[in-house]
Amino acid sequence: MVISFYFFGFLILSSIIYWVLPKQDLRTVFLIIASLGFISIYDKFAVLVIILLTIYAYYFAYLIEKQTNRKLCHRLGIIGLILILGVFKYLGFLAETISSMTSFIAGLPAFHFEKLLLPLGISYIVFKYISYLTDIYWRIVKKGNFIDVLLYGSLFTIYVAGPIERFERFKPQIETKQMFHVSFLEDAFQRIVYGFFKKLVIADWIGYFIAPVWENQSSYGLGIRIAALIGFSLQIYMDFSGYSDIAIGSSRLFGLKIMENFNWPYLQPNISKFWRNWHISLSDWIRDYLFFPLSRLNESKLWSTIAVPLIAMGICGFWHGAAWHFVLWGLWHGAGLAILQVWNQQKRVFKLKPIKALYGPLRVLAIASTFSFVTIGWILFK
Amino acid sequence: MEQKLIQFIKHEFLNDPGIEITVDTKLISSGLIDSFSLVSLQRYIEKEFGKMIPAPKITAESFDSVRQMIKIIAQF
Repeated sequence: MVISFYFFGFLILSSIIYWVLPKQDLRTVFLIIASLGFISIYDKFAVLVIILLTIYAYYFAYLIEKQTNRKLCHRLGIIGLILILGVFKYLGFLAETISSMTSFIAGLPAFHFEKLLLPLGISYIVFKYISYLTDIYWRIVKKGNFIDVLLYGSLFTIYVAGPIERFERFKPQIETKQMFHVSFLEDAFQRIVYGFFKKLVIADWIGYFIAPVWENQSSYGLGIRIAALIGFSLQIYMDFSGYSDIAIGSSRLFGLKIMENFNWPYLQPNISKFWRNWHISLSDWIRDYLFFPLSRLNESKLWSTIAVPLIAMGICGFWHGAAWHFVLWGLWHGAGLAILQVWNQQKRVFKLKPIKALYGPLRVLAIASTFSFVTIGWILFK
Repeated sequence: MEQKLIQFIKHEFLNDPGIEITVDTKLISSGLIDSFSLVSLQRYIEKEFGKMIPAPKITAESFDSVRQMIKIIAQF
């Protein structure tokens, strides 16, 4: 979603037409056309990518449901999606890394993969279709109609920055015709206003105050720099969760209930709970499609305790952007999760009684420690 | 199935046979076990009962008690 006056004009107009249409199929087709039309304003190439990716995903979904070798079809489908994401998003990064490593070899031809177009929202749609194919493989959901899948992939309110909704939740909402209810308007209005307040009032104002510190760090003392870092931590939360509120509220105008993406992440007492409440749609995705499958590869404690969190969160970091500092940010969180797992295991070894819930100063200390850990991590992210 | 799951949880995660667990004991929300343990539970259920429960169905909310686990296992 690209937030602008055009967006809200478009949103209001399209939601009115949506509810006027008499049949659900017509509404779905209209919302697809509206979504692709809106996305085309910002990136025409992305529209082509969405359509081709949806045909690809739907074809593999068909194969997984029909073929006897479901596992092979699933693996091929996933590999293809990863390759597509890799070509568009990471080839330039890879070429640059290789080039910097081999720069001492004179005469090597120069590649300019960075000139490849990066279609709008490619990271999100590829993750959505990976979950779509895997959930079909796991028999959690049926492949559905092509137009339902196309709307799932392209819905303009959540296209650019999520939440990364699951087809299992999305499909029943567009299969049957809903009656318009005034509560949709109330919910939507509240969430959009709330999101705007977080984004434009809180996040942007914090950004206004801390920007000079980031631009000229050497001119400021340690205390001010720490305050700016805490400010950035709050800014990124308010900005992104505000964005998610607007996306969820906008979708509600069409009667759609999109999954929540944030739930007070900075008030959590450990890093595992932080991730269960921060960018929930992504962290659930990482958990379901990376953490669990990776853990099943090897039964050793070392693998599941140390390696899996590092690999899963390293990939999570790399998904945020094609640069090493994102990978380091992911590894930082992977290390935090690994340490927490080791700590939990040691508690069991030494038969420490489980702490059912932390109260009072201990809880405040746990929350402050988790917040500090996450905030230090933002240095790597930024 | 109930007793097998309870025994596994007591042996694998609590390391204290003295703690009493029933089918309705809240395991994750009460802090008795952590959400990382869900991976081991998935593996155990597959080995012991021959059912592979997909990760999206194994959450801190849906696997919070043995009764809830049995309900999910029955769906696969």
